[in-house]
Amino acid sequence: MAKHYAMVIQLKKCLGCQACTVACKFENKVPDGQYRTKSPAIGPSGTYPNVKVFFEKQACQMCQDAPCVKVCPTTASHYNKDGLVLIDSHKCVGCKYCMTACPYDARFINKNTGTADKCTFCYDTRLTKGEKPACVTTCVGGALLFGDANDPQSEVARYMATHRTEVRKAQFGTRPSVHYDYEGVK
Amino acid sequence: MQRRQFLKGALYGTGGTLVALSGLGAATAALNPRRAAAAAPVSRKTVYSSCEMCRNQCPIAVKVENGKVVKIDGNPNDSAFGGVICARGNSGPSLLYDPERIKKPMIRTGERGSGKFKEVSWDEAYTYIAQKLKAVQEQYGGEAVAQTSHIGPYDVFFQTIGKAIGSPNLFSHEATCPMARIIGLNTTFGTAAINADYANTKYLLVVGRNFFEGIHVAQTRAVAKALSQGTKMVVLDPRFSVLAAKGEWLPVKGATDLAFIMALANVLIDEKLYDEEFIKQYTVGFDKWAAQVQDKTPAWAAEETGISQDTIIRVARELAQAKPHSLIEYGWRTTFTADDFQLRRAIMIVNMMLGNFEVPGGYYQVKDAGTLKKVPAMAAYAKKLGPVKVPPFPKPKKGRIDGTGEKGTPRQLTPIADGAVGQITETILTGKPYPIKAWLVHRFNPVMSIGDTEKTLAAIKKLDLLVTCDVYMSDTAYNSDVVLPECTYLERTEQVFDMSGLTPKYVLRQQAVDPVYADTKPAWQIYKELGEKMGYGQYFPYKDIDDYVERQLAPTGISRKVFAEKGLWTPAGMKPFYVRSGDAKAPLTLLATKSKKIEIFSDAVQEATGAGVPVYVPYPQPGEGEFRLIEGKVAVHTNVGTHNVPVLHELMSENTLWINAQSAAKLGIKTGDTLIISAGKYEHKGTANVTEGIRPDTVFCYHGFGQISPQLTRAFGKGINDNKLIPDQLGSVGNSITSMTFVKVRKA
Repeated sequence: MAKHYAMVIQLKKCLGCQACTVACKFENKVPDGQYRTKSPAIGPSGTYPNVKVFFEKQACQMCQDAPCVKVCPTTASHYNKDGLVLIDSHKCVGCKYCMTACPYDARFINKNTGTADKCTFCYDTRLTKGEKPACVTTCVGGALLFGDANDPQSEVARYMATHRTEVRKAQFGTRPSVHYDYEGVK
Repeated sequence: MQRRQFLKGALYGTGGTLVALSGLGAATAALNPRRAAAAAPVSRKTVYSSCEMCRNQCPIAVKVENGKVVKIDGNPNDSAFGGVICARGNSGPSLLYDPERIKKPMIRTGERGSGKFKEVSWDEAYTYIAQKLKAVQEQYGGEAVAQTSHIGPYDVFFQTIGKAIGSPNLFSHEATCPMARIIGLNTTFGTAAINADYANTKYLLVVGRNFFEGIHVAQTRAVAKALSQGTKMVVLDPRFSVLAAKGEWLPVKGATDLAFIMALANVLIDEKLYDEEFIKQYTVGFDKWAAQVQDKTPAWAAEETGISQDTIIRVARELAQAKPHSLIEYGWRTTFTADDFQLRRAIMIVNMMLGNFEVPGGYYQVKDAGTLKKVPAMAAYAKKLGPVKVPPFPKPKKGRIDGTGEKGTPRQLTPIADGAVGQITETILTGKPYPIKAWLVHRFNPVMSIGDTEKTLAAIKKLDLLVTCDVYMSDTAYNSDVVLPECTYLERTEQVFDMSGLTPKYVLRQQAVDPVYADTKPAWQIYKELGEKMGYGQYFPYKDIDDYVERQLAPTGISRKVFAEKGLWTPAGMKPFYVRSGDAKAPLTLLATKSKKIEIFSDAVQEATGAGVPVYVPYPQPGEGEFRLIEGKVAVHTNVGTHNVPVLHELMSENTLWINAQSAAKLGIKTGDTLIISAGKYEHKGTANVTEGIRPDTVFCYHGFGQISPQLTRAFGKGINDNKLIPDQLGSVGNSITSMTFVKVRKA
């Protein structure tokens, strides 16, 4: 069976410490001032002393019905054999259509290459070697789960079977592969 | 929605001052690298080492490609880390390859603080320092030389210089950080090597510590693990920290934590909820403590702390219900008030009332090789590191400037290895008790760390010699006479660190790459060479650091190869060792007190302060129109050391002043407003972050910003230097008081 890589983010465990943010920068040689992922604070909300705050890791949502792939005029944005949305930088002409189309603002033009860039789940550098993405392995709070959602025994599949998770901006019908568990934070 | 807002801003509590982070780079297809990369062979290796982006020395795995560090992970061979490392640890290469590092030794040519230096050879720098020190020594005596460092592996080499000169005035930074806890533990357990087993605790009460922003990877992970297993956490903090967000936040009135703790004891006794058997078997002086807390009722504490009586009673009952697997955290930076060490003692006394010593989920004595020797069945697991013997040092002719060690005064409790670092500037300025004329500083930044930046700068001007060794042109380096460039931790090997916990553990920092800047050197080499130049070669009897490591390892039987392969050593087959986990009445033969009991009443504290058990002292509260200024850590920076590291600076370049929404409304202050923060003597500009997440009588900023060295071009002048506003005020045991500054705030 084909693989379906998925990530589950347990928001109550995210400390907003940005270890993932920095790990990603070095793993993927992301230029200064640019990021493939970041975990901004949502809040604080409420009134003193009843206050809440949480952190929401943001990056490419690895949509299964990805607007960026649809609008790409050169097929640079594509699904690879494992169903991941990736960018072939040799085909990218930097037209930014994908950036406009992405509901998650997950893409940018890499300052060094001039082509569109975003999270790849560390496909080339780690997944193909059997390792998890750099953000997952360095997560201090243990908030990130990663694996093959098509494998019922995988950590992500088992987690999603027993917990209520959501995708961001479900109304766009993009069918993301990144799932958020907001239990305990909202 | 607005486009291009992806990943904008928004670390917690920056009040929207972060820069936009994505997307707006040059977007020309012409830059598209269509050319195929030449297939050059890549040499790859992983070097196991130890991080130094802060002081916790976390074990790391450094990935090196073609001689360049490309990525740093946590060391997967250490189960406490499991391959995890924090944002700062991940940023190591950004420091390593920063062109703003100091690259050559330098001697000042312009006025102090003018930033005018000439680059010199190491030999010139050593000669200059040696001559100046000799002159000071001849005119004023060896005691006129003070030394300060953050505390770390360099100390054994760095402090050898001062000891050889005959100076008693060697200081760590501890008085600005954990010293009150160290004294609290020393006087109760006879040792400060007491750790907490956070991962297995069922109930955690945290008093002002912030595991999720002041990150200690192993401990932070342990707390996170406990929470994920359903542990309840209660957080006493005037500010809604990230930690508070993950538990029950009790916004305690500043400087009243001891009232809360004493009331817990009152309830535990009143409702007979404490572990009477434990107290009887293992402690002395409980009756005196019981008498002391008799009138410290929850009703009284509610008035003091602003936390309701019901809440105090409930927390006491919940702690008791989960005992002995419940714990009250003893604190990290413990310098809030003049008598903070008594708060730390009181916390540990209530912990002992929960009977949580030497059981899972409680406190335990560190099981290093020396401690295991006292437990015959365990002694074979590890052998102590070998001493590296040096000849005896000359005895200092005078006592310390800070009174450390003086019997019959509170300073008799101050650890001699630490001292009261905040005393130095006062002594330089007043010449009392005798002059300090030379100051050697290693990886410490007194201008930003000893209270009252202006006072420290004034003191520096009166010195004959100030030498700073660092990796950056820190605020103190900038004002020095001689600046020595240390290489970073990724470019040096150091001696074996003992990082034991529930089992013994040795960790080795191992050089990952050659120095990026050829003229930077490791501390051991710098001080050995300086010592030799000064005629003190006999105190550095080893050839180099490898020779030093061999001498340490010789009696242990551990091969250096183990560190090359794994980065650390732990005894095979040894399980986490809690003395009382199988037998609640097991004797505590490893206790280090003279009485062989846990000293609830301490004779030493009685002799030093007249208060053998903690006594409540009410501290002033902010008056009308005033706020208590408190400060703390953020997960992406360390103290004042990382604000210029490119990647970390990019993540958080500035701090803001947190002010409660209602208080701000009264003053007409909105988020983003420029404020004047006035502490009376000094004022500082800052940007407002109006929030519901802080007490109305308190303002807060993250520490270490507003740096004043123009040669830290990124961090220079950005944000609030809280250290300018906090006076150089010392507590009873010499701790620098950090939470007793009241400020007024107005729009600029």
